[in-house]
Amino acid sequence: MSREITVAAEVRASRGKNEAHRTRSAGQIPAVVYGAFKDPVSIAVNPREINRIIRSATGYNTIFDLAIAGGETTPVMVVDQQVDPVKGHLLHADFKRIDLTKRIRISVPVSTTGEAQGVKVQGGLLEVITRAIEIECLPDEIPEGFTVDVTELMIGQAKRASDVALSGSMKLISSPDTVIAHSVALRAEEVVAPVEGAVVVTPEAGAVAAEPEVIKKGKKDEEAPAEEKGKKK
Amino acid sequence: MMMPKKVKYRKQQRGRMTGKAWRGSSISFGEFGLKAMECGWVTDRQIEAARVAMTRSIKRGGKVWIRLFPDKPITKKPAETRMGKGKGAPEQWVAVIRPGKILFEMEGVDRATAGAAMRLAAHKLAIRTKFIGRDDAE
Repeated sequence: MSREITVAAEVRASRGKNEAHRTRSAGQIPAVVYGAFKDPVSIAVNPREINRIIRSATGYNTIFDLAIAGGETTPVMVVDQQVDPVKGHLLHADFKRIDLTKRIRISVPVSTTGEAQGVKVQGGLLEVITRAIEIECLPDEIPEGFTVDVTELMIGQAKRASDVALSGSMKLISSPDTVIAHSVALRAEEVVAPVEGAVVVTPEAGAVAAEPEVIKKGKKDEEAPAEEKGKKK
Repeated sequence: MMMPKKVKYRKQQRGRMTGKAWRGSSISFGEFGLKAMECGWVTDRQIEAARVAMTRSIKRGGKVWIRLFPDKPITKKPAETRMGKGKGAPEQWVAVIRPGKILFEMEGVDRATAGAAMRLAAHKLAIRTKFIGRDDAE
């Protein structure tokens, strides 16, 4: 994995949501860099550069240089982000300093190729259960992603994390039994067959549905004798 | 229709719908999703109608996830009733939706089929929605 990208950053002296709003309206986003047994530093970066890194082929596992103005230039990775739920804008990012000589744990995306026999021949459905697996490797060995061939999958069969081909010194951290994808039979929607002579009741607009059970307050057994005592008086 | 099995209280106040859906705003299970773009109430009938429209549209194949649940009772007074005499009887159940919430997810079909099914489902709802994919650049 090459480290050709350098992202410029500025140190943020001020904190709080108001300052964060001002940073965003100035075209930058608040971010923080931490890790490697050094103190965390609050910074501001250009969201377009971070988005470009996240949307690249290597995605979150891209290691790039973060050049803090008047400070360190260190290799980092995006480890967390906050996104606006409606507009999808990047709001905040967390960067982690990476020691290039030490093994790191990362989550690598897993994709499937081919059309499963269970789908093609048996008319089932290929269900992707896990879309990323966790591995441990050196920062230089981080793969873009893994591909699992699902062509042979019949209904009831699955590809597991142990079926992913790891290269070099990569070590699987996720459970080897983790199901990546499996082929399942389609469940037909339950259709109630009309019975002769039966009255079909269609719910009218405004008809009240059966109400759910209301959880009663207090302890029944203790309250009952107390009520009886009150009545006696 | 979807409704809770047990509730603590039969009736609720209306409440407010401010803010965005910070939880449940990303695709978690499927490949495609329908995202709410505004706040509102989605009733149990609308959810059922949308589900039926989607499952019929994709015919065989594909899996649908419903990411919302109507857990809020809505009461209504009978017609031609004078005001007062207490709150009306529970009439329907709604899910309170805030903008950004993923309403439905789908997997096992291509993008065009999923888009067409979600479009039908979106017509059953009373709020503005948007069709999104897992890999869509936001």
